[in-house]
Amino acid sequence: MAAPFTRVYQPLWRKLTTTVLSTGVRNVSSTRQQWAELNVKTAGAASPWVLHGAVCLQRLPVVSQDRSPIEEDFMELMRQIEFEKSLLADHEVKVLEDSARMSRKQDEDYDSDEEDDYKNKKIVTAQDLEDVWEQNLKRFQPAPRSQGDGEKDLSSSERCLADSLVLLVKKDVGSQKIWLLPQIEWQTGETLRQTAERALASLPGADLKATFLGNAPCGFYKYKYPKDVQKEGLVGAKVFFFKAVMSSQKHLPLEKNTFAWVKKDELQEFLKPEYLKQVRRFIMAL
Amino acid sequence: MNALLKKVLLLQNARALVCVASSVQSQVLTPQMPLGVLYRQYRSMPTHGIGRYKRLLPKLQKKKKEKTQMKEIIGATTTKFGVINVCVSGYDMTVVEHYSQYIHNLCKHLDIKVDESYALPTKSTEVMVMQEQGMKMFVDAVLKTHERVVQISELKATLFPILIEVILMNQPEGVQLCLKEHTKADYLTRFKSRPELEQLLAKINN
Repeated sequence: MAAPFTRVYQPLWRKLTTTVLSTGVRNVSSTRQQWAELNVKTAGAASPWVLHGAVCLQRLPVVSQDRSPIEEDFMELMRQIEFEKSLLADHEVKVLEDSARMSRKQDEDYDSDEEDDYKNKKIVTAQDLEDVWEQNLKRFQPAPRSQGDGEKDLSSSERCLADSLVLLVKKDVGSQKIWLLPQIEWQTGETLRQTAERALASLPGADLKATFLGNAPCGFYKYKYPKDVQKEGLVGAKVFFFKAVMSSQKHLPLEKNTFAWVKKDELQEFLKPEYLKQVRRFIMAL
Repeated sequence: MNALLKKVLLLQNARALVCVASSVQSQVLTPQMPLGVLYRQYRSMPTHGIGRYKRLLPKLQKKKKEKTQMKEIIGATTTKFGVINVCVSGYDMTVVEHYSQYIHNLCKHLDIKVDESYALPTKSTEVMVMQEQGMKMFVDAVLKTHERVVQISELKATLFPILIEVILMNQPEGVQLCLKEHTKADYLTRFKSRPELEQLLAKINN
């Protein structure tokens, strides 16, 4: 199935200039000590915004999606047409020849010298080969396409093999615990992509290997701190999202309540509405 | 009878005169043309050959067939990638071909320049199975690996993550995807080796 790439391709400049409504204010507060450190770091910068780098880690689909009923019917029809139009393969010709020879042998007036084919001394017929192949096929067990009850386990990355999943992390921001994409603050001297890599590496209890796609961020979210937390000069934070793809399926099992692998349509149960609106723009679903 | 003959002769003479006149005319107009070219298609229609002009143009030299040269490989800049080969390989030819066509159409839609789209020769792999009793191996199956390459150039660095994500999301089962930079060695693998030429070269060098 073709991906809706018309929807996805948006020029980057348009993404960066759309500002988020600052009415959706998130309660962000940190201890006084952290604030002091922050002030020291951003003392030289004139900007009142704190920069964060976040990573959108995706587990790509492993199997193809199931077909809808119309697609099934059409595929069945196409298969039938192709079968009826096709010619016999070498193997099928041999099977027919062997069966014809067998039926001739059964006749009472069978004379083996009349056979044109010199190869009739064969021991193994084509039908025997076919039986052997069928036996081999029965012994082969393909892996299951869906986990069954394992689909409910949100922290496992083996769920929903036909869709792409995004990693969410539950972090306590201020007084509440909220779900968001893993993010960490930017430090001077490093690029934003390195910040995102650090965000991924610093996740507690997870060894996820990922490949980052490009140096350009894919999304952007801006939020203001609540009035009581806003100190002089610090209005809020800007988060830049970077896309990454999981390079290996094997990793240690993640904590159930802290980590979640979610599909795009399950995102709204986890994320806050304003945050969701920005994040939805760069997450692709088939 | 004689009158008829005379008329025919007259006509023939007239024709001959006209021929000569036209040949003289053409000679006057194009003095550099050789006489062997002068022929005239005579048909009964007076306007026959009215549009003929090719004989008046100067003669072109026939172009010699040039040996195909390699296109210059553009290097990567800070904002754009160089020449990238997207190699799609697998055992099922229809799936591999359809996937490479999908990638090509996707690039066309996103206004990414596709330099070339070619196929590499099919590689056959024989799967040998050891007999249960005995040391002899016999051929169990022949697997054919098909490979298709879509060559992309001048890909913007900001567009690359989007493209690669769409390609990865739509990768079918049983198909391997590989993105490589295009080098001269990759270009040379497309050509067949010439053993006689190599032998002669070796003889010269030794």
